[in-house]
Amino acid sequence: MSTPAVSAGAAGPAGVPPAKPRKSVLGTKPGVVVLFLLPALIMLGALVVYPIGYSVWRSLYDETGDGFVGLGNYGDVFTDDATFTALKNTAIWVAIAPALVTGLGLIFAVLTERVRWQTAFKLIIFMPMAISMLAAGIIFRLVYEADPDQGVANAVVVGVHDTFVESTAYPKASAPNWSDMEGPRAKGPYTTKSTVSAGEPALLPLVGLPPDKVPGDPGPAKAAEAAGDKITGTVWLDFQKGGGGEKGVVDGKESALPGVKVEAVKDGEVVASATTGDDGTFALPKEADGAQLRLPASNFGAAYNGLDWLGPSLVTPAVIGAYAWMWAGFAMVLIAAGLAGVDRNLLEAARVDGANEWQVFRRVTVPLLAPVLVVVFVTLMINVMKIFDLVYIIAPEPVQDDANVLALQLYLVAFGPRADYGLGSAIAIVLFILVLPVMIINIRRLRKEGPR
Amino acid sequence: MSESSAASEFSGPTEPKAPAEAKAGPVTAPSADGTGGRPRPSLAARIASRSGGGVLRVFLILMALLWLTPTLGLLASSFRDPGEMTESGWWTVFTEPSQFTSELYSTLLGNDTITDALVNTIWITVPSTVLVVVFGAMAGYAFAWMDFKGRDWWFVAVVGLLVVPIQIALIPLARLFGDIGVFGSIVGPILFHVGFGLPFAVFLLRNFFAEIPRELLEAARLDGAGEVRLFFTVVMPLAGPALASLAIFQFLWVWNDLLVALIFTDTSSQPLTVALTRETRAFSQNIETLAPGAFLSLVIPLAVFFAFQRQFVSGVMAGAVK
Amino acid sequence: MRTTLRTRRAAIALAAVGALALSGCGDDGGSEDKPGDGKDTGAAQTVELPKLDGQTLEVSGVWSGPEEKNFRKVLEEFEKRTGATVNYLSTGDNTATVLGTRIEGGKPPNVSFLPQVGVLHQFAERGWVKPLGKEAQAQLDKNFSKGWKDLGAYEGKQYGVYAKAANKSLIWYNTEGFEAAGITEPPADWKSFIETAQTLSDAGWPAVSIGGQDGWTLTDWFENIYLSQAGPEKYDQLAKHEIKWTDPSVKEALTTLAELWGKDDLIQGGADGALRTEFPKSVTNTFSGDSPAAMVFEGDFVAANINADTDAKLGEDADVFKFPAVGDESPVVSAGDVATVLKDGEASQAMITWLASKDAAEIWVNQGGILSPNKSVDMAKYKDKITREIAQALLDAGDDFRFDMSDQAPAAFGGTKGQGMWKGLQDFLKNPGDVEGLQQQLESAAAKAYKG
Repeated sequence: MSTPAVSAGAAGPAGVPPAKPRKSVLGTKPGVVVLFLLPALIMLGALVVYPIGYSVWRSLYDETGDGFVGLGNYGDVFTDDATFTALKNTAIWVAIAPALVTGLGLIFAVLTERVRWQTAFKLIIFMPMAISMLAAGIIFRLVYEADPDQGVANAVVVGVHDTFVESTAYPKASAPNWSDMEGPRAKGPYTTKSTVSAGEPALLPLVGLPPDKVPGDPGPAKAAEAAGDKITGTVWLDFQKGGGGEKGVVDGKESALPGVKVEAVKDGEVVASATTGDDGTFALPKEADGAQLRLPASNFGAAYNGLDWLGPSLVTPAVIGAYAWMWAGFAMVLIAAGLAGVDRNLLEAARVDGANEWQVFRRVTVPLLAPVLVVVFVTLMINVMKIFDLVYIIAPEPVQDDANVLALQLYLVAFGPRADYGLGSAIAIVLFILVLPVMIINIRRLRKEGPR
Repeated sequence: MSESSAASEFSGPTEPKAPAEAKAGPVTAPSADGTGGRPRPSLAARIASRSGGGVLRVFLILMALLWLTPTLGLLASSFRDPGEMTESGWWTVFTEPSQFTSELYSTLLGNDTITDALVNTIWITVPSTVLVVVFGAMAGYAFAWMDFKGRDWWFVAVVGLLVVPIQIALIPLARLFGDIGVFGSIVGPILFHVGFGLPFAVFLLRNFFAEIPRELLEAARLDGAGEVRLFFTVVMPLAGPALASLAIFQFLWVWNDLLVALIFTDTSSQPLTVALTRETRAFSQNIETLAPGAFLSLVIPLAVFFAFQRQFVSGVMAGAVK
Repeated sequence: MRTTLRTRRAAIALAAVGALALSGCGDDGGSEDKPGDGKDTGAAQTVELPKLDGQTLEVSGVWSGPEEKNFRKVLEEFEKRTGATVNYLSTGDNTATVLGTRIEGGKPPNVSFLPQVGVLHQFAERGWVKPLGKEAQAQLDKNFSKGWKDLGAYEGKQYGVYAKAANKSLIWYNTEGFEAAGITEPPADWKSFIETAQTLSDAGWPAVSIGGQDGWTLTDWFENIYLSQAGPEKYDQLAKHEIKWTDPSVKEALTTLAELWGKDDLIQGGADGALRTEFPKSVTNTFSGDSPAAMVFEGDFVAANINADTDAKLGEDADVFKFPAVGDESPVVSAGDVATVLKDGEASQAMITWLASKDAAEIWVNQGGILSPNKSVDMAKYKDKITREIAQALLDAGDDFRFDMSDQAPAAFGGTKGQGMWKGLQDFLKNPGDVEGLQQQLESAAAKAYKG
């Protein structure tokens, strides 16, 4: 569980015993020391240390707790598919999320420095910190909803897409199985098996649209008449509400499909093309004689529905996006505070020396901010390793194993149907061991810096 | 707290940067080859810097919108007619205000389970916040100003506990709480949050106390104050801001917790987050409960956040940057 | 999700409990009962209950919301008759966590509903569930057929009462869709079912809505086809993993299934869309919205979703037919929630006796939305005709029904997100061409899960 408490705590460089211990104000009586420390130490011992010990012990037993398996559970962490995926995903998280969030924080902190409404901006960015993972998870389920009519992410994607790409006239219309046409259903193109000849009007029936929902509500289709050496034909919706009418016959009640492009194809070459009129009829010049007719795919194909945000390939980036939304404010505020402590004269000097803003930023600001950046980065790293709630809430069931991370796998293994508390404990210990070096490095580094 | 003081915390360095920029503008112009050659003033650079301001503003506004949209979506959804939810996006509420309804909230607040849970949340949050602050302050003070063997190593050990994932403790503590008979009551989550809140509390407050000038304490000591009295009359009042920021953190943490409460409470002691998940069925079908519920659950933390943002931010920064 | 999803998760949950519980189970809760002198309140009571004034019981189930309200009616009557206080614990989506730790904490509910046969066995093996007392056994013998009793027994001892059942061999349809496509007769066999789907699709109606995001709906598809095609004997063997998943009968069933799943234009939103659809959404997608699907498959509990989440009227806008016969006969796949005693004592035994009684079952079915396998229930107590018919069909199946296969399987194979059957069939929906690959995948998963 990522909590502000934990993260912010780790952020402090003062987590170090200074090299020179402060002297007590007066020699404190041991009794008083005990009095002051005891409540906290009892709580920590019983509620935090004891569970660690218990888990170490428990991780050596099998799922029922009866059979001693030694380090077998630890082997499983690396051989069990799901657990290994979780380990890999945690690695992805650690590689991407802290850098992304620190970067965002840095950008926001530096850019807002000179903006008058920076207070409002920072509040907006920081606000998600106060929101629970549960609420955030729900918020982002809404954002990533696949239906562009409900999920704002896809609404934007589709909006942009449709600005550049024209939508098809009759999405989902198909050539029926019994017709003369072939082609992938609901996609097109549909091509006639036989060839056309002048004087024999072609019949190109389509189905798959609700008769009462044909776009533009065109009138009934008309059977095309032969017209000299021209090739004529009809494209129409060969389905009546309620299923009446004869298949393959234009019976006067069925809807026309105007605006459909019809191509005449000979040996793979388009020799002529036409578009159907309001009554569904079309006429091709005589070059088309003996050609096959094709209704190209541009007439059909489902509307673009945006990205599958929560599908297997995008789910981890999507959840990382939600995480960045929550934590960018944290990074921004810390870095902004660090920025406030940067000596302005150094920046000015660099500017006077002719450095442009980018150079000032890269050569001066960033190096000066390095300590803060490291603190933010390391804090986020520890936090990210323990990420649980967001993934649990946002990732839908079929992709949960694609999005899995260690802390979630721990939960699923121990509290899910496997009910394997042995393996669960082993994962917990592995997680603890993974986080520990980061913590130790942090403490070391701070010790080196020494007392201020 | 006054609004201005709150704002000042967020506004960073107040010194205006514009003049500096103006000064630098004409002077600087990086050579195109970027090898750091001699600067030459250039009109292009000036124009770039001007329009850069506009681009910057647009970029920041876009970012602000991006950050606001998700929360806004939840808010809008929570005020919509549930029938509309499966039909259209929440943003249509702005073009068709007729969808606005507070029905979901009245349903939610008319639900005893939810209101009871709200009360439970407070009963869990307040004691665990108070206990963490008190115990954390005592230990933090001991680590900062008392002499005892291995003090610094004890402190490192306590801080090291910051990284313990809470999942590790669920089963062992379930057994422990069962043994001492507090399982299923609000005592369980309170204890749990105290335990896992303490490392940060000790860490934060010890750092704060260490900054108290020695002279101040010595003076009080010479006046004859005992260690205990010194702590309560001198140290604690001085530590106001640090205590406040700690309290806010702890408050938010406990208030927003789901997992711990889910396990250690039962129907009569469950807090809001748990009640909401238990009221919930599958996600898509229950947005009518989830949206207002989630919003309700974040209104109070947000109120706390806006009321105490100064302490909150200084808490985030505590120790990190001085 | 009303019933099933809950049910599934609970199943998972309970599986967890067994393994988690390392130490002894809860102490005897009801030891301080004083047998009251039962003065009767009602007139036509068919069950005798002790006086339990001043006692408090806890009953846990997976239901929340309206379902919980209905079940509470049953508990209220118990309170009225015995004077005890009954608390209901909804374990919600996190049953595993809740019950697992509750047993650890020494406070299991008195009576708990377990949704899977496999879980009941696991529990019985570990001694977590207590055998039924004399009174409860008497009620059970009086009211339940052998098939249902056997499902609640383990190694010759009776532990559970199936107070709630589900008939999972139903296909619900949108009457408007059938009318628009001119379908007058619901299909009785698989071939005409596919033809019907094709006709619907031609009429512009997405034929079938599938809630593929919830793996259990997909396993139910397979189970119905397999039971009807391969017959009950094979079904039992496969459920016990006595025949392998690479068996030709499995191949045949999967190939049959692919006749539907392999045609994107018959599935609402295509296979990709189906995998993004949760079960409840698959129901609303059939009975509401701009372009509803014509049919949705799942159990009787679909009625509850229709009532709660759509404006469709049962019997008018929404109707139901039996799962089409793939082989000689239509399958009857059932599922159910079994009430068990987790904490022995007079009060717990009284509760389970009550749940096995005709009176309790009649109160419950009268609320609507559930089926009772209790054969003494007066059919007139069912509120609506549709439910009554479904209930009758279940009872008529006598002992020929088969229990949901995935519920009988070890949880790791039959009831885990992202694993075993759930995952396998989700992969199959994505890629219905690879029958043999799926068989291999299922067999290796099954081999691992059944050995333990």
